[in-house]
Amino acid sequence: MIEDPSSLPTESVDSLSSGDPVVASPDADPGFIRSLRRVRWDKVGLFIVSLFLFILAINLMKEGARALAPLVRDVFDVNSPANALGFGWLFAYLVMSGSPVAASALAFFSAGVINQIETFAMITGSRFGASFIVLFIGFIYVLRGRDRSQGLSMGLLSLLVTFSTYTVALIIGVFALQSGVLDWFQPSSGALLASIFDLVFDPIIALLLSFLPRWSLFVVGLGIILVSFNLFDRCLPEMSIKESQVGRVSRMVYRPWVMFLLGSGVTMISMSVSVSLSILVPLSNRGFVRRENVIPYIMGANITTFVDTLLAAILLNNPAAFTVVLVEMLAVALVSAVILIGFYGNYQRWMLSFVNWIVTSNRNLAFFMFTIFAIPIILLLI
Amino acid sequence: MTTGGSTHSDAAIRFGLEIMRPEMDAPTLLTVVKRPEDRPRGQAILQEAARRFGEASPPVNLKVRVGNPAEEIVAEAAQGDYELVVVGERETHGFVTRMLGSTAVYVVEHAPCSVIIAKGKIGPVQRILLCDSGALQPDVLTRFTLRVAERISGQETVTVLHVMSQITAASGVNDEQLRADAGQLIEVHAPEGEFLERDLTVLASPQIQTRAKVRHGTVIDEILDEAREGDYHLVVVGAHRDEGWQRWLLEDITRKVITLVDRPVLVVR
Repeated sequence: MIEDPSSLPTESVDSLSSGDPVVASPDADPGFIRSLRRVRWDKVGLFIVSLFLFILAINLMKEGARALAPLVRDVFDVNSPANALGFGWLFAYLVMSGSPVAASALAFFSAGVINQIETFAMITGSRFGASFIVLFIGFIYVLRGRDRSQGLSMGLLSLLVTFSTYTVALIIGVFALQSGVLDWFQPSSGALLASIFDLVFDPIIALLLSFLPRWSLFVVGLGIILVSFNLFDRCLPEMSIKESQVGRVSRMVYRPWVMFLLGSGVTMISMSVSVSLSILVPLSNRGFVRRENVIPYIMGANITTFVDTLLAAILLNNPAAFTVVLVEMLAVALVSAVILIGFYGNYQRWMLSFVNWIVTSNRNLAFFMFTIFAIPIILLLI
Repeated sequence: MTTGGSTHSDAAIRFGLEIMRPEMDAPTLLTVVKRPEDRPRGQAILQEAARRFGEASPPVNLKVRVGNPAEEIVAEAAQGDYELVVVGERETHGFVTRMLGSTAVYVVEHAPCSVIIAKGKIGPVQRILLCDSGALQPDVLTRFTLRVAERISGQETVTVLHVMSQITAASGVNDEQLRADAGQLIEVHAPEGEFLERDLTVLASPQIQTRAKVRHGTVIDEILDEAREGDYHLVVVGAHRDEGWQRWLLEDITRKVITLVDRPVLVVR
């Protein structure tokens, strides 16, 4: 752990001013130097490495995706949006994360393996699968003897909010994509960026192709993208909001839009809903958070969690892929806004009642767990 | 006390009659008319209301103001340096009024003093529900409730309610207190137990029976359920914080209680 430079004694700065050539310069700004010294350069380095690996992984997945078309289309039988939804859902269970699956969907789309609507459905499925992770951790605690209602509440809320908002957003999104209403909004041409990436990554891809089959590049890319997300999590700043006035979340009931924006903001940085939820723990010294505050927080987090997928779409230099992610974000944002403005009180009651019903008995819990495994399998098989 | 002559605004007069005692300072009966030429009609409404107080009560002052009812009530409350304003309110409102706020909501949000919103069934005040979040206005809420309870004749029961809507933010958090009742929270000196105990101490009085209660669920739903199940005659809540960032960031529970509860509410400021 690097010592926080802000905690250094004053004399160390004084000693620099007498001997350090940078500080001795008449133009040197002591404030700027202090700022530089505060930067965690190890984390900056880690961020650059994780970004490099992310871009490499996207390029590898794109390269290998085309060779996987027979596997996706014939073996997994992904030939409709429903299939793609189930596929993305189960894929996220397998890798215990949503972002790599969403990136995979874009890679498949760029390689022409799946169409735009299927891509949209697969990305939605990735979020369904990813939202299971928080519940899974809670389930482990329940198996170890903790109370069902408390151990699973957060995970179930996360799951149900995601299911309810994304399901409606899925319908809206399909209509939006079919109508092409957002096709006009594209990022400016990434041709220059793509040529730079080609210059850097083509030799690496060629090297790997010299001894690996083409389809395996997708698997290697998937592995690298998981590593890159892991590294990215490590280079995040300490985001434990202290027990300041704003941080006393456990004691106060905030307006829904406040928690919605907080969830969006935190996840914009962390890019992971489960990480954002874990950040809530230190908000109060007892690790409690109000029910009223959690739901809009999850809603906000569910939108900005697509930031990395949006970046992946830009890196793939595929405007249609960018539109898919944009439509996903806007559709979820629209559904969330309608709920928050129109009928948040009732929505909150429905969600909490459903959570209570699930944790009422082992039978209900088992039925629910069975359902969330059975539905994606059925979707994949139909 | 404000009245406009209508059935719902008459609730303020009826509630005033319930809490009025001869030893009190002379109350003011206020009505607001829209145009100056309506003053005679306002006077007639006040005369009618004043007759109902009879001779047992202190003499009442009568005032007619002209303008917007909500704004004029607030202006009178500020100019007259009153301790308490009583306004009548409909039991239920349409969607638009719920969103925009009624006259009573405006008065609660802008008056410089505590406000009673008289609505629903008005009768002798024997059971009082004091809702304490613990986060705002330590002591003010309880002390004001005590003063009101002491001025009401007979024996009252005050239930101090705290709603714990918290859940654990992560699976590994020790969550025993989230299932505890009031007695257990007081026993282990949990933060909620501390202020519930403080409230009970402040309210201790020969003519008041007190008890603390903790409910688990969302704040507004639990308050409404408790008010209904306990058939309380008066619900007491603190005013929403109206200064600084908290005004915009914190949920206005007070407004929801005023709008949704079906019985008289005292908002303490």
